[in-house]
Amino acid sequence: MCTAEATASLLQVEETFSACLARINTLILKPLLQAGSDQKGKENFKLFLLLNDRFQALWNLTEENYCMLKQKHSSSESFCIQDIYAHHKTVLKQFLTDFTSETSMSLALYTVLHKPIRDHIEHYILLLTKLNEVLKEGPEKDVVTSAIKEYVKLESFVSQVLDEACFTKSLWKSLSYKFTDMLCVPERRLLEDSKNLPISASTNRSDRILLFDDVLVLIQGNSFQSFDLKLVWVDENLSLFGSYYVFFTVGPAILFLCPQAVWQWKLNQAVRQALNGKRDFPLWGKTGEGTKPPSCRFFTYVFRLEGKFKNTSYEGEWHWGKPHGKGTLKWHDGRNHVGDFKEGLEHGFGICLVPRKSEDRYDCYKCHWYEGKMRGYGICEYGNDMVYKGYFKDNVRQGFGILENFSAEHPFKYSGQWENDKKNGYGVWEDKDRGERYIGTWLDDHKHGQGIVVTQSGVCYQRTFHADKMVGSGILLLEDDSVYEGNFTEDLTFVGKGKLSFANGFILEGTFTNKSGQGLQTHGILNTSNEQLDDRITKVQLGLEEFPVEKRWKGIYDQFLEFIHSGCKEETEESFTGFHIQTSKELRKSQEYLFCQKYEGTEDVSWKTEDILEELVQHQELESLQSYLEKALKSSLHPLGKLLKALTIAFQATYSGIGANRHLLTMAQEEVKYYAKKIWEFYQGLLHLALEQKGQLPSKCMDEDTSDEKACSVVLPLILPCFYPELFMLYMLYHEREDDLYCQGIVDLSLFPDIKLLEFLDVQKHLWPLKDLTLTTNQRRSLIKDKCFLSATECLQKLITTVDPREKLVILQKTYEEIESTVSRVVEKDYRLPMDDLLPLLMYVVSRAKIQHLGAEIHLIRDLMDPANRGGLYDFLLTALEVRKCFQQRQLEVAVAFLE
Amino acid sequence: HFDHNISPTIGASFMTKTVPCGNELHKFLIWDTAGQERFHSLAPMYYRGSAAAVIVYDITKQDSFHTLKKWVKELKEHGPENIVMAIAGNKCDLSDIREVPVKDAKEYAESIGAIVVETSAKNAVNIEELFQGISRQIPPLDPHENSNNGAIKLGKQTSQTGRRCC
Repeated sequence: MCTAEATASLLQVEETFSACLARINTLILKPLLQAGSDQKGKENFKLFLLLNDRFQALWNLTEENYCMLKQKHSSSESFCIQDIYAHHKTVLKQFLTDFTSETSMSLALYTVLHKPIRDHIEHYILLLTKLNEVLKEGPEKDVVTSAIKEYVKLESFVSQVLDEACFTKSLWKSLSYKFTDMLCVPERRLLEDSKNLPISASTNRSDRILLFDDVLVLIQGNSFQSFDLKLVWVDENLSLFGSYYVFFTVGPAILFLCPQAVWQWKLNQAVRQALNGKRDFPLWGKTGEGTKPPSCRFFTYVFRLEGKFKNTSYEGEWHWGKPHGKGTLKWHDGRNHVGDFKEGLEHGFGICLVPRKSEDRYDCYKCHWYEGKMRGYGICEYGNDMVYKGYFKDNVRQGFGILENFSAEHPFKYSGQWENDKKNGYGVWEDKDRGERYIGTWLDDHKHGQGIVVTQSGVCYQRTFHADKMVGSGILLLEDDSVYEGNFTEDLTFVGKGKLSFANGFILEGTFTNKSGQGLQTHGILNTSNEQLDDRITKVQLGLEEFPVEKRWKGIYDQFLEFIHSGCKEETEESFTGFHIQTSKELRKSQEYLFCQKYEGTEDVSWKTEDILEELVQHQELESLQSYLEKALKSSLHPLGKLLKALTIAFQATYSGIGANRHLLTMAQEEVKYYAKKIWEFYQGLLHLALEQKGQLPSKCMDEDTSDEKACSVVLPLILPCFYPELFMLYMLYHEREDDLYCQGIVDLSLFPDIKLLEFLDVQKHLWPLKDLTLTTNQRRSLIKDKCFLSATECLQKLITTVDPREKLVILQKTYEEIESTVSRVVEKDYRLPMDDLLPLLMYVVSRAKIQHLGAEIHLIRDLMDPANRGGLYDFLLTALEVRKCFQQRQLEVAVAFLE
Repeated sequence: HFDHNISPTIGASFMTKTVPCGNELHKFLIWDTAGQERFHSLAPMYYRGSAAAVIVYDITKQDSFHTLKKWVKELKEHGPENIVMAIAGNKCDLSDIREVPVKDAKEYAESIGAIVVETSAKNAVNIEELFQGISRQIPPLDPHENSNNGAIKLGKQTSQTGRRCC
């Protein structure tokens, strides 16, 4: 058979088929169409119209093909058959997909409608097979071979579709009216019936199981349960009793016992096709073939069963019958949860809107969930203008957290510990209306236990509180350095027994009364024999015993500790260490944050937990460790950076603004040192973990002494800039009086010309750098100012521009070297200054440098410098500076007298 | 080792010196204090936290020995507890113009339980012995107080301007 012959016979087949279709059209479809226009079964008529459309399309196509074939046959001998078959194949497939769907036509009509088409397909196959036999190997043959395959598929598809239709039809006939009423839908097809292929389910003891193309139906007696196939997962289990299958859907799993694997396969295929939204072509492959449906699916479902989610609707990803992955859960009352789910429960990050009972407002939780409950870091914007940022556990506030009220009415801010949704433990409360800050312990939302109150006016007191009320006597520290010990009210009026010590040493002891409008009244003794109150009383430091530094902000440390103990998993990092928020603007975007890439920070370094651990191992040598820690602490993504951030917030909550009170200096200073210690501990914890994960045992266990030292020398300088403004403010306040006095002295000394000052300070004459004085014609040497030791003076002035005590000490050393080099130049040889020479010179330089808060600077350096420097050159120079400062105060009067 | 001209290491107000003592090395951090009378009131700042004090007098000047006694008294009263004291009679190379007899110094030192040595900074006589002597008396390190890896802070007092020792 040659190509020409094949074409000729094809032409003939087409012609016959076309004629046949024409006959069907005129004899059957047209009358039916006319009769059907007023039929009552609208559903069926619709399907018939569809059938008619498809038929017409097929007829048209056949006609078209016939014409084309005829044309080609007459014009050319060698035409390309590929076009035709390709065209044919696709179109045929397309409109035969759901070709037969009629349900109630007579058998004859049924035969008439499908017989010619089946015959026609058979003809095609026959022709193509013949053609295939004569063709040589090559692209043409391949095309024909694949066309044959497609036609064979089409043939089996048609017969399968017809079989299914018959099968379904007979089912509807056999089922009772009650069931067909509920189940019978024209498009629905029966795929398998447990009557044909026995299977038994463990639950409910179903009488019959029907697998349709969209649902699975379990019939038991007079009732049935149907399950959407999209929500059915089939799991194969092997047990002692042979294999059985479990299928999961929303609710309890149902167990099937089945001797054959056919059911499982069919179920899987049906589920997959239902999920795809269309049937396979052909409907069924060979048993056991075909891919399994995906276990993760996207679906909307309304929960009906009793339980937490009753009457909620879930739209999102499913896995084995449970919400798993990202999704949205909506409650009837308007509650709404968007976020991550795991095994049917909220787990991971989520945003939850909860309507408030009385108002038309929502509480918005942006939080981490754990097995259905809030746990870990979260932010809640309450409908009443309050915002909570902190940790949760079991749906309530627990651990460290900050609650702030932004409404105009009674604004406040609480930063501290929470237990069981209430303020409990150490916390700082700022009442913005009253301009007061309470630093102390809490019990069930009440001030309870020891507490310090600092006020806007600078007054500060320490009392015992009991359920928000002050009890017992307390100590009240007034701005003018007087101290009152006894009972007093919140408005700071003295009542009852008390002792008032004035700054000048007078002590008034007695019983105080305070009637409105009558001023303060007292019966008591005024003792005027005492000397001036000393610093121990006027500068008394509060809170040191009541709130040991280890007990402050435990909630912050606990989370980081737990993070390390839990093995620093990437996915839990955020719930332990808080969100990565660079700006407050970014917080508002958190809604988007849910579905976007998490680590698209502006930083070019990767801060994934695994990378962090890897980096830790690589940066163990002191120098690289320092630069690594510096980078880490500055990053808003690194756990250590986040810890520092949290501590900064806690520190500022206590000591900034109203909290800037000199009686809190030691508390603050201790706290900063403790932060350094803790950060070092966490660094070590992380390193330990990183080494463990690499299978290396940490080389040695650092004993605590060296660990403390490291914290101070490595970490403290790195974190100090974060706390410097508040801390230095406290130092300035603490040393305010003597610094003021000192400043006055400096001003007085600044009137001295250089030579006069050198003389006054008893600097030996041979050390005077007179060479530095270059005079213009109308200047007198004795009146020149600010010229001698200029380099040293300028160097020392840099002290105020630095934060790190280490750098400040270096500046001090350079100043010392400058003095020495100036002197060496003057005496024209290397000269080492003995103390008797150095002190006067240093005094000269410090006087000229005019550093306003020198006392604060010196004490800050001394308190926070690396203890390793103790006793060394730095310590020595610092002492010299301190000596100089003290000395000057005592000599002030002499200086003024000298000047005059 | 010492030049007649003042060597750069002499006279500096802060020095370090390492002295072997048994199996250990003791690092001395030596602070000079101002000897001038007008700075006397500030001395406590210098000797706070010191483990030892070296008080130097000039054997050719009886006055300096008197001043020394004042320093000792002050240290006893206000200085750190358990401070090790050493008395150094400097300029022993000029013993021909001596004003303070060795016997006086020895007796005084015994009465206050101090080390006593006559030294010559110029000729480096007995300097090493002085520090060795102090080393032996320094109590073992208290690990809580000291953080200097075995180093001990020392205060060195000169009793008079111009009297230097190292």
